[in-house]
Amino acid sequence: MKDYAKHKRPEMLEPFFPNEIFRHIIVSCFFIVIELIAIIVFPLHTNLVIKKPDHIPWFLLPVYKLNKLIHHETLFISLLIFFALLFISWPFLVSRKRHTALPINKEQDTRIHHVRYTKRHGNLWQSPIPFTIVIVVIISVVMLCFINL
Amino acid sequence: MLQKDVIHNKDHTETVHETENENFLKEFIERSITRRLIPKGLSWFGCMGGLSLLAFIIQLGTGIFLMFYFVPSTREALASIQYVSHRVSYGWLIQRIHAIGPHIMIGMVLSHMIRILFKGIYHHPRELHWVSGACLLILTLLMYYTGSLLPAHNDKYSTVHLTFLYAIHIAGIPLAMVLCMGMHFFMIRKTGIYEPL
Ligand code: HEM
Ligand code: HEM
Repeated sequence: MKDYAKHKRPEMLEPFFPNEIFRHIIVSCFFIVIELIAIIVFPLHTNLVIKKPDHIPWFLLPVYKLNKLIHHETLFISLLIFFALLFISWPFLVSRKRHTALPINKEQDTRIHHVRYTKRHGNLWQSPIPFTIVIVVIISVVMLCFINL
Repeated sequence: MLQKDVIHNKDHTETVHETENENFLKEFIERSITRRLIPKGLSWFGCMGGLSLLAFIIQLGTGIFLMFYFVPSTREALASIQYVSHRVSYGWLIQRIHAIGPHIMIGMVLSHMIRILFKGIYHHPRELHWVSGACLLILTLLMYYTGSLLPAHNDKYSTVHLTFLYAIHIAGIPLAMVLCMGMHFFMIRKTGIYEPL
């Protein structure tokens, strides 16, 4: 387990117990209340016959629309697998190790270089190309939901 | 005399063992709970991973209950679900929790992912956190898909098909998810959570 107390002043730390434990309990209770409210509020048609596309849930809507758009089972499934693989390997695709200048002393400098680089370019909006890709993907997924077929 | 000695000896070793155990337990509790320090000012968004876990555990609990009554055959699937929700006491509650829960769970998992994505927490050394998490998201969606076909009263699916879906819904995918979660949590413990600068 990582020791968070290393390299830190005492005022930057707080005890795990009871502060964090209580926070966990509060958030969990909040979650359970939300779930119970959702059960009361949302009507259930699950006991009925599942009729597509009326009962496609919001998060599968883009996939369903893509299927309608493509009309080709094999191509559709290959596309899904392709997207899934891209999604899983995302950190390696946007890895910035390539961009760092070659250090003179290879053994040690790479790490320092890398750490500095990570700190400057942590957020997504600080690296333009991945940011653009993410925004374009989000917009096209949302648009896909609203296509009328 | 000999007997007594043996007993005495046994007692002695046992107490030594017990105190050792107690010390170990005490130290473990102190190190990982009561005296543990964590960084201040973590964001509330950081809860989303934990809430996904809670939602999964709720699905697991209610799902095991539903397993007692569900019959995976095209003829009886729907009837067995109706039996649970109308005849079994509090069955309706369990059934509805299991049916509504996935929507909330997937919302939690997606917001967990979006936080990670926009904060860039998938960068070195946390690539494998992302890989295991992405597998978890895909498996959760598959769980939803297989689950929602179970009550379907549909001529398109034969009983063999339904039994297969049922088997992977209650055993195959959950096992894979538990494995991925083990990997996810093991690696989070290794690197520690991402801290604000
Ligand atoms: C069933 C699904 C999931 C569960 C139960 C889960 C659970 C957790 C938990 C409990 C944490 C601890 C810290 C936190 O809450 O932020 C965490 C961190 C993390 N998760 Fe997940 N997660 C899931 C899905 C995902 C997905 C879909 C991704 C990304 C594609 C992901 C990527 C990560 C990463 C990179 C961290 C490290 C964050 C840090 O270091 O602060 N997880 N996860
Ligand atoms: C990520 C976790 C899970 C998700 C997203 C999920 C999703 C679903 C969904 C959407 C249904 C259809 C419910 C309905 O429309 O009535 C369902 C049914 C079912 N699930 Fe799950 N489930 C999960 C975990 C489990 C687990 C771990 C088990 C068993 C140990 C289980 C057992 C069942 C059974 C027996 C049914 C049929 C009864 C019914 O439809 O009410 N589920 N699941």
